[in-house]
Amino acid sequence: MSNRRLLSLVFCGLLVELLRSQAACADVFDDLEVHGFANQGFVKTTANSFFGDSERGSFDFTELGINATIEPSPSLRLSGQLLSRRAGEMYDGSPHVDFALADFSIRNTTVDSIGLLLGRIKNPLGLFNETRDVAFTRPGIFLPQVVYYDKVRNLFMSSDGVAVKWNLFYDAANVELFFGVGKPLLDENVEHGYLGASFAGDLETDGVAYITRLLVETPADTIRAAFSIAKTSMGFQPSLLDPIGNGNVDFVYGIASLQLSIENWTITAEYMREPTNWDGFTGSIFDGMTMAAEGYYMQAAWQPVSNIEFMVRYGEGFADRNDRSGEKFSRLTFASVPAHTRYSKALVTGIRWDVSSNFMLRAEFQRHKGTFILSSRENPDPVSTQPDWNMFAISASYRF
Amino acid sequence: MDCFRTRPSLTRFARTLLHFCLAMLSPPAVAAELVVHPSVPEHDLTVNMARLVFTMRLLRWPNGKRVKVFVLPDQNPLHREFTKEALDLYPRQLRRVWDRNLYAGSGPVPVEVATVQDMARLVSETPGAIGYLPNDFDIEAVRVIHVK
Repeated sequence: MSNRRLLSLVFCGLLVELLRSQAACADVFDDLEVHGFANQGFVKTTANSFFGDSERGSFDFTELGINATIEPSPSLRLSGQLLSRRAGEMYDGSPHVDFALADFSIRNTTVDSIGLLLGRIKNPLGLFNETRDVAFTRPGIFLPQVVYYDKVRNLFMSSDGVAVKWNLFYDAANVELFFGVGKPLLDENVEHGYLGASFAGDLETDGVAYITRLLVETPADTIRAAFSIAKTSMGFQPSLLDPIGNGNVDFVYGIASLQLSIENWTITAEYMREPTNWDGFTGSIFDGMTMAAEGYYMQAAWQPVSNIEFMVRYGEGFADRNDRSGEKFSRLTFASVPAHTRYSKALVTGIRWDVSSNFMLRAEFQRHKGTFILSSRENPDPVSTQPDWNMFAISASYRF
Repeated sequence: MDCFRTRPSLTRFARTLLHFCLAMLSPPAVAAELVVHPSVPEHDLTVNMARLVFTMRLLRWPNGKRVKVFVLPDQNPLHREFTKEALDLYPRQLRRVWDRNLYAGSGPVPVEVATVQDMARLVSETPGAIGYLPNDFDIEAVRVIHVK
């Protein structure tokens, strides 16, 4: 935590210094680009809590970001982004460094390009993970939660390390290969997500995360297909107060993605699977458990005119693909965890209006069965969650 | 009496609305032409190469100079005309690539200018620059190149 705060401070300082010196030596920082974004949402649910006390109506969904890029030489680009995100009980809005990296262009021709990235790098998983906190880039007000969990988002969001990006430009397609190794960023939400509660002891990264993605795009972007995998593990050291023993969680997070853009239509489908293995944790239900979470959705978006988009999406997600009804797990916990907390099925429909190129409004309605996508941090008592619930959300987003 | 008076104004309104709708649907009168700073070595580009340039994948010209891309706003009719006719892409597809570069730090983004006058001035003043202008725009300080 203090580490992260220090990084934010350093980055803030750097940013201010850059902006200040821009005036002083205009030609060196000729290429300085500063951009930002802001998003405010309102969420109302008929039951349960999503991004705040949504049963009453919650404004606890705010995203603010500012980024800066300079190119000291034609083959080196430095860029960074500060992000403040308020998301109900999950995130309180304290700013952190979203990414801060140096991108060395080792090779760049009309045939291929190779880039080496160093620093805090956004993990390119699926089609949306890299820019998941920028409302303009999302396929709806919220990302499809069954593939891109917001309850444990940090785990796979970015990593501190090194990556190689290799682009091959063919007449028939552009192929992008990404391979990264780094330290993932954990927080209390991850503890909630994988151990079911917050403990006095610490859950920490145990080694590194490997992130890889293969992305194939036809030149006119008619077809985009991707296959992404991240692999990492975490270790838990209990404190004296904790009722559970030490242990390790290993997992793989894989996403297969396909997007078709034909005339005014964009069809997107993604499938996620996350095999997870708990080792240790004596005294907890997770002791020696192995299971694979699964999620998938399909979305159709139609743009009758260039600044209006209608969308409809259906998705399902399961905590354990071998126990999709959740009954087995519920029995195991003597019904202290209801079956409906182990799955989510949602039908979503929404409208997006790009009022101008900088300003966007959205409205969305979601019909839910199951509460798997909800955070246990926001809904601490699983028994009191409602399996049937609806959500209405609106958002206003600005960028510069 | 009042009824008779409102009717012609309604008809007039309907006619204006119809004209407006037709104007929205009809293609723009001018075509867009690809223009570069005179220092750019290329004389023509393949569609794929033009796409690599505008999706910010090709960062340097063969002479090593940095590619500097200039564009008009997404909603600008000339931008839409250029994107569709020269690149066979929708503005939203370019925007998606640029957004990813910008908000994930994974690449550069083009410089957005407000008017064709700004476009003409900046492309003519910036070594390595590439942009587009209406084909009836008369300027000697930039060079027109063709997409094959």
